[in-house]
Amino acid sequence: MRGIAMPETRGYQMRELMRVNMSDLSIKMEPLPAKWARYGGRALTSALVFTEVPAMADALGAENKFVVAPGFLGGTNTPNGGRLSIGAKSPLTGGLKESNSGGQAAHALGKLGIAAVIVEGKAADASARYMLVIEADKSAKLVRVDAWAGMGNYALAEEIKATRPADDHFATITTGPAGEMGLKAAGVAVSDPKGYPNRFAGRGGMGAVMGTKGLKAIVVSDKGLSYVEHADKEAFSAAMKVFANALTTHPVSGQGLPTYGTNVLANIINEAGGYPTRNFSDGRFEGVENISGEKMREVTLERGGNVKHGCHTGCVIQCSRYWVDKDGAYVTKGMEYENVWSIGADCGIDDLDAIGLIDRECSDLGLDTIEMGATLAVYMDAGKIAFGDGAAALAAIKEIWAGTELGKTLGQGAEVTGNAFGVAHIPVVKHQALPAYDPRPIQGIGVTYATSTQGADHTAGYAITANVLAVGGSVDPLSPEGQAGLSQGLQIATGMLDAMGFCIFVAFPVLDIPEAFGAIVDMVSAHTGDTWDANALLAVGKETLTYERLFNQHAGFTPADDRLPAFFKTVPLPPHNVVFTVSDADLDSVFDFVPETAAGLGIS
Amino acid sequence: MKVDVALFASLASFQPDGLSGRHTREFDFPDGMLISEVIASLGLPDEPRVIFVNGRHASEGAALSAGDRLAIFPPVGGG
Repeated sequence: MRGIAMPETRGYQMRELMRVNMSDLSIKMEPLPAKWARYGGRALTSALVFTEVPAMADALGAENKFVVAPGFLGGTNTPNGGRLSIGAKSPLTGGLKESNSGGQAAHALGKLGIAAVIVEGKAADASARYMLVIEADKSAKLVRVDAWAGMGNYALAEEIKATRPADDHFATITTGPAGEMGLKAAGVAVSDPKGYPNRFAGRGGMGAVMGTKGLKAIVVSDKGLSYVEHADKEAFSAAMKVFANALTTHPVSGQGLPTYGTNVLANIINEAGGYPTRNFSDGRFEGVENISGEKMREVTLERGGNVKHGCHTGCVIQCSRYWVDKDGAYVTKGMEYENVWSIGADCGIDDLDAIGLIDRECSDLGLDTIEMGATLAVYMDAGKIAFGDGAAALAAIKEIWAGTELGKTLGQGAEVTGNAFGVAHIPVVKHQALPAYDPRPIQGIGVTYATSTQGADHTAGYAITANVLAVGGSVDPLSPEGQAGLSQGLQIATGMLDAMGFCIFVAFPVLDIPEAFGAIVDMVSAHTGDTWDANALLAVGKETLTYERLFNQHAGFTPADDRLPAFFKTVPLPPHNVVFTVSDADLDSVFDFVPETAAGLGIS
Repeated sequence: MKVDVALFASLASFQPDGLSGRHTREFDFPDGMLISEVIASLGLPDEPRVIFVNGRHASEGAALSAGDRLAIFPPVGGG
């Protein structure tokens, strides 16, 4: 345990790294290397993992590192600027992973002036469990918490709260039993403004990296800390007003998302014929009305639940909500579009209460709900349980608590489960399950799924915007033309947003309102006192992707890994009866900027 | 001619019967009715919208055919 005095200035140049070694239980502070002074969030987690983790390392071994970083603007009053990046070599994909979450932890770390927490090594005693406690004065310690082994995220949240002073203000980052078991679908839970462990860095098995190091929880107190100051406060305020105005006036971020939540997408993706149903065998789900965002809002209001709040302080979009049972009691976060789709349509389940219970079980176990819904759908496709049987699906997930053979198989995700039970159509890229948009009738998102450094990940380059939603222009979703360029531009921009710590939903107004992008440039300039322009911001996005792409190459990835499973190119999807037709040459063009960017960084 | 018209999210309340819970209604329109004419007859607000006919994007100037399904959304996003 050691205490460090707060620096007088908590500006971006004073940020530090906290290095926590689980093998010798040491904690050290280091200055952030000057070459990374413009990095935060995903740029920093990816640069650190690229630099410090051998590409061929065992993802669940002592050589891997678990890196937690607030965005560059974390800890400031930037609207929707409180996203958290968690990076490591992924036990699921085998590549460099950045898993992104809302919740309160990013701002807490940012206010402390911590650019990243790097957790390395591995507890010598496999039965040991530790909690990393970071106090508001930046002192930190590792506390032995063996009694919490195997505990679900919700009970864990209560135990942690009981260790804190009543007047504390803190955020938690935790892993459930799935992470402790090293399961590839294990995610990391981050506490929301009410302390519920319901925001997730879900994808890519980050919970397994955390859990197998012996780290059960991180607590960050920001009690009494104000927001980080800006170099030019007035200029920042002026830019912030422009930005916030764009977020609240654009119809998607100002009306659709706050009113209906992310699940407002269910009907429109279904209408477009791209709503993957019963393990990607149909593009429309007959039960969609029962699980749509409109229905969720109606039912939640009838039950007296909350239908509009931010997942983190400083959010002006407010797309979060809580899902409550028939008696009005909290069950889980208001399920997102992706969760409702994966557990719902992909499994043929049209009952929001059944979906909510499975979502809660996954969240408590600490599992990625996208991966687990896709896994259940594959399990159903194998005929082990019937499509549409929510009770059987919940019972299957509950097997994971005891670590039964079936439970551990399911917890490894869709690919392992599909292989174990002999399923022909396993919807994964780089071993990670496809999310909620079928790439056959929506080809732009197929380019992102195929090429992303992250494995199949919609957020990496959200081509649904121009393909379906008429945001940021229009590109015919059924044609292969223009999809590679669309995906490339979005992947670079997303790398930048993830580095800055923005919620990616700011992209809806930014893509349509030119002043909104200018406001980001102005906010970053005013915050740092340095000159930034659009190219400087997008350079951070390109550099982020370059670290990830090179790491993946070093780990053995080739162009053959940038492809969709064959059935997307050979089995037509109703109702449009189309297949994915973007050429391999187009897919291979998406990362054409990497050699030049790598040369600029002096890395290879 | 019979055409199904589905209105979603904030537009759902513009169905003539005003009932919530279901998005689609069957209408009987004159042959060759334009989407813009449907929009005018329903009194939809003069705001951006996303239009599909039979699951494909369509423009407001397009004419409908018997058996078509017309779906209209306000701008939405998420993911």
